[in-house]
Amino acid sequence: MFPTLEELQILGLSLKVALWSVLVSLPLAVAVAYSLARVNFPGKTLFDAAVHLPLVLPPVVVGYFLLLTFGRRGPVGILLEEWFGIVVMFKWTGAAIAAGVMGFPLMVRAVRLSFEAIDRKLEDAASTLGAGPLAVFATVTLPLALPGVLTGMLLSFARGLGEFGATITFVSNIPGETRTLPLAIYTYTQVPGGDESALRLSLLAVVLSLAALFVSEVMVRRATRRIMGDDADGRH
Amino acid sequence: MRLVPVVFSLLFSAVSSGANAEGMIVLAAASLKDALDEAVRTFDANTGQNTKVSYGASSALARQIERGAPADLFLSADVEWMDYLAGRKLIRTETRVDLLTNRLVLISPAASNVTMQIAPGFPLAAALGNGRLAMADPDYVPAGKYGRAALQSMGVWTSVSTKIAPSEDVRAALRLVARGETPLGIVYRTDALAERKVRIVAEFPATSHPLIVYPAAVTAVSKSAAASRLLDFLRSPAARAIWIRHGFGRAN
Amino acid sequence: MTLTVDIERRLGSFRLKTAFEAGGGVTALFGRSGAGKTSVINAIAGILRPDSGCIVVDGSVLFDSKRGIDVPTPRRRVGYVFQEARLFPHLSVQGNLRYARLFSRAPETAGHFEHVVELLGLAQLLDRRPGNLSAGEKQRVAIGRALLSEPRLLLLDEPLASLDTHRRSEILRYIELMRDEVKIPILYVSHAVDEVVRLADTVVLMSAGEAVATGAADEIMGRSDLPGAAGPFEGGAVIDARVVAQDLEFDLATLAFDGGTLTVPNVDALPGEPVRVRIRARDVSIALERPQRVSIQNVLEGSIAGIGVESGGVVEVAISIGAAVLRSRVTRRAVQQLGLAPGQEVFALVKAVSLDRR
Repeated sequence: MFPTLEELQILGLSLKVALWSVLVSLPLAVAVAYSLARVNFPGKTLFDAAVHLPLVLPPVVVGYFLLLTFGRRGPVGILLEEWFGIVVMFKWTGAAIAAGVMGFPLMVRAVRLSFEAIDRKLEDAASTLGAGPLAVFATVTLPLALPGVLTGMLLSFARGLGEFGATITFVSNIPGETRTLPLAIYTYTQVPGGDESALRLSLLAVVLSLAALFVSEVMVRRATRRIMGDDADGRH
Repeated sequence: MRLVPVVFSLLFSAVSSGANAEGMIVLAAASLKDALDEAVRTFDANTGQNTKVSYGASSALARQIERGAPADLFLSADVEWMDYLAGRKLIRTETRVDLLTNRLVLISPAASNVTMQIAPGFPLAAALGNGRLAMADPDYVPAGKYGRAALQSMGVWTSVSTKIAPSEDVRAALRLVARGETPLGIVYRTDALAERKVRIVAEFPATSHPLIVYPAAVTAVSKSAAASRLLDFLRSPAARAIWIRHGFGRAN
Repeated sequence: MTLTVDIERRLGSFRLKTAFEAGGGVTALFGRSGAGKTSVINAIAGILRPDSGCIVVDGSVLFDSKRGIDVPTPRRRVGYVFQEARLFPHLSVQGNLRYARLFSRAPETAGHFEHVVELLGLAQLLDRRPGNLSAGEKQRVAIGRALLSEPRLLLLDEPLASLDTHRRSEILRYIELMRDEVKIPILYVSHAVDEVVRLADTVVLMSAGEAVATGAADEIMGRSDLPGAAGPFEGGAVIDARVVAQDLEFDLATLAFDGGTLTVPNVDALPGEPVRVRIRARDVSIALERPQRVSIQNVLEGSIAGIGVESGGVVEVAISIGAAVLRSRVTRRAVQQLGLAPGQEVFALVKAVSLDRR
């Protein structure tokens, strides 16, 4: 009942894809969340709706849009290839983009909520102490928003791990490259006799998700405690 | 405009449309889409039926029927999945017929002018270069399985097996080639004819792969009397004209 | 130091139109709640943007609407102690204090950190978190943090408002200590008379968004023609005095001022210490002769400086005692009965004296 080497490789690929998707989308999500939480600009409602599109569109549709945009004939794909020599089509990086895009609205929501909850008066205090806007953001706003950021990362990670429709439509189901856990499970269920492998992989997915939840829970609790001001030894 | 009543009536119409005049559900392989749509339209017009067709990979459709999907008719793109259902007594075997045949072709984007002859050991890998070969997943989609069989019999499978871009179904593979994302692809002849943005480079010899047969059958759970009438229609000369126009062949 | 403020700002239905000048030492912005005091210091700090006007600190223009100057808050070098402390919850006390040094544009004075920690008694608190501190402790840290940013002007916004009586006097003492030790000019916002009397050198009286009077603390706090502005403040006199003797047997102290002496009970001060006394007008009676066999200990000789306007049958009479001016509230009938007139020599009988340290 122990996973085979191939199954472990699938697990490894999924982890790689999900982790990178979170790391790369994080700075953009923080910027977007901040602008939505603090800035009033023309077209803000439209922008907010656009950010949430991957949440409401069928994943296959999102995958198709990614194909149109990031494919080798797509505008961004051409740019990436010409300027940086990067091709994401049929690569794990494409799968990471699919995972990142699908998880993006979840990350933005969580981070935005935590930005909105921050007491602006603390930021005023920081600026009277000589901190410019960027310094205030880095030393006060962001640390206080940490629990929200961590939650957003977890949500996006979990969503990315389970991403299927957009991935398979965009970068296909290439073993070792884009055949992440959900795609592999799907493939096994489609092949007569693949049920055992499918079950094993599904259990692995459950274990992985529980582990991610647990780690994130610990980290969020610790971050919240820091902000609430417990002493190092937990006295309140 | 009062918003609430409008929303309500929209919701209700959506809900109630399902309970229309006797509706049949057909599950059919993706590669049958354009032709079958036309055939079903004709059938419905003639008989006043309201038939709904759901397309997908034969494997996925077979699984759905296995899990109890309320389908009346199943049109598979290969024999294996029909046998699969037959073995589980999920179809009415007396209704089973081989409906159509198809051919396998090698395609490229319309703008490409690559030429190739399909013969044993043909330079497929070289022609792909850094690109990939778009085809339905050879692990479980019929079109993919036929494709692998054909490449194996030509002796080039091992040279290209790591360069495949396996798609969920044959139409997705067609889309990739049409978008120019891959230099070459393997799809059914009927698919290639349906898509203007691709051109046929060469046709695989019929002997290089098992015969591509589309079996059709009424499902065991079907309660529709019209199901077998539809099947009869699909075998009639009127329907045959539609099939041939789209590039299918007769089964027998 | 000179602080020049001349600003205007509309905040909803409230109109702020304030102009005043202040020098070094402690300047109090005094007035009731809603007078606009916090808005003024927020404008000085750069947190609030006036519609028009100018703010100049020591020749440095912080804001000038005519020239389009608006120095951003981080560059104003103005320390701010907020009413609610506003300590950073994710940093320890030490972290909060060190934060002040992180972005300070002034060069660090050697030993300054230790000095401030000692001054405010923060050594025990350094490893604690703001969430675990009492309100008084938080304020001390807040004061320390503001000091450590090496500001050229310190703003305090009702720092004692959220403290209970016990804490208030404790922190008040710390602020006094800071005022004496630290040479930075302080702008102190408060609606509490005793705080202002105790701490301020100069008072700017604010009412309904305007600075209605500016002057030396004892002068402004003594005026009673500003009842509306000062709120529930009672008219009276504020006199600077010095402890000259103590009577340990009866627990009394003798204070000398420029005009005479006062005997006061329960003074917790040493001879030579300067104190400031407040004498409410209603605690002062007038006699034409020195009274005999009376319990009042303080009978001061002086002359009537002026007789005020009557209100509700009551008149306020100003009596000059040497260089000081006392105020006495008497009935109009009493004025007529005694035939009081300016210049007349009278005796002021002082029943109760409130005392504040200096």
